[in-house]
Amino acid sequence: MSRSPLSRVSTAVDRDSELALVERLRQGNGEAFDEVYAAFNTRVFTFLVRLSRRRDVAEDLLEETWLRLVKHARRLRPDTRLGPWLFTVARNLHVTYRRSRMLEDSAAASLMALWPFSVERSSPFDEAAATELERRIERALAAMPVAAREVLLLVGVAGLDPSDAADVCGITPEALRQRLHRARAALSKALENDATIEAPATEGVPSCQTP
Amino acid sequence: MPDTLNRLLAGLPSAEPHPARAAQTHARCRAHLERQIRSTARETAQASRVAQVWQPLAAVLGVAYLTEAIVEALRFVGPF
Repeated sequence: MSRSPLSRVSTAVDRDSELALVERLRQGNGEAFDEVYAAFNTRVFTFLVRLSRRRDVAEDLLEETWLRLVKHARRLRPDTRLGPWLFTVARNLHVTYRRSRMLEDSAAASLMALWPFSVERSSPFDEAAATELERRIERALAAMPVAAREVLLLVGVAGLDPSDAADVCGITPEALRQRLHRARAALSKALENDATIEAPATEGVPSCQTP
Repeated sequence: MPDTLNRLLAGLPSAEPHPARAAQTHARCRAHLERQIRSTARETAQASRVAQVWQPLAAVLGVAYLTEAIVEALRFVGPF
């Protein structure tokens, strides 16, 4: 777990370099793949691990994302934007994974009800979060519905432009703006509730409302 | 509030996949790319070989056909 915050995706690779990189990828250039891998691997993995809330699943989906890139490298459009492309593939793979999980879960639900322990999982970031505030954010994010969580992760954490995030999610920019607004409000409320429950009269605990 | 929230979200730590798994993924992708390059090179070589055979053959057949057509035409209208 790295302590350095993620840099913005839009500044990770400038547009001219990105176009050249895409051209080299289309020719099957291995070094071009290494550059893309170095620029996006951590970002996409961080997105997937927070989206799926499971490290093992995120690692599987990440591998599949990269394999999709190399399989489709020759067919990439020359003007492909690599960040949104990779996040779209990663998100779609997660959607497929969730659908298959839902089928399995519905089949196994009756059996799992007999299991004596809770199967709720906390976020893998929970233990690694350095501050109480980060822990609260991770918990609040992990508890949010996937649709809300993904827009916060794409725009807030991964740093995609809202229009790119809308493309990734397959919705209009206006729909994304509304979803993002609701997600932010829900996150703020969750953080406030969490603070109230955990430390009702504690002084010095940083509140999400005070910068 | 959105600014504060954005700052908090942007400041969250990033995660790295397990190094062994990351190396395995990277190696698989590179191997796939190399296979693609080899297969492209093979296809190009095959196409080039086919062109090497068919182009002269088509030219020879074209010349033979043309010669025969001229001979037939001269036989029909000419002094032969």
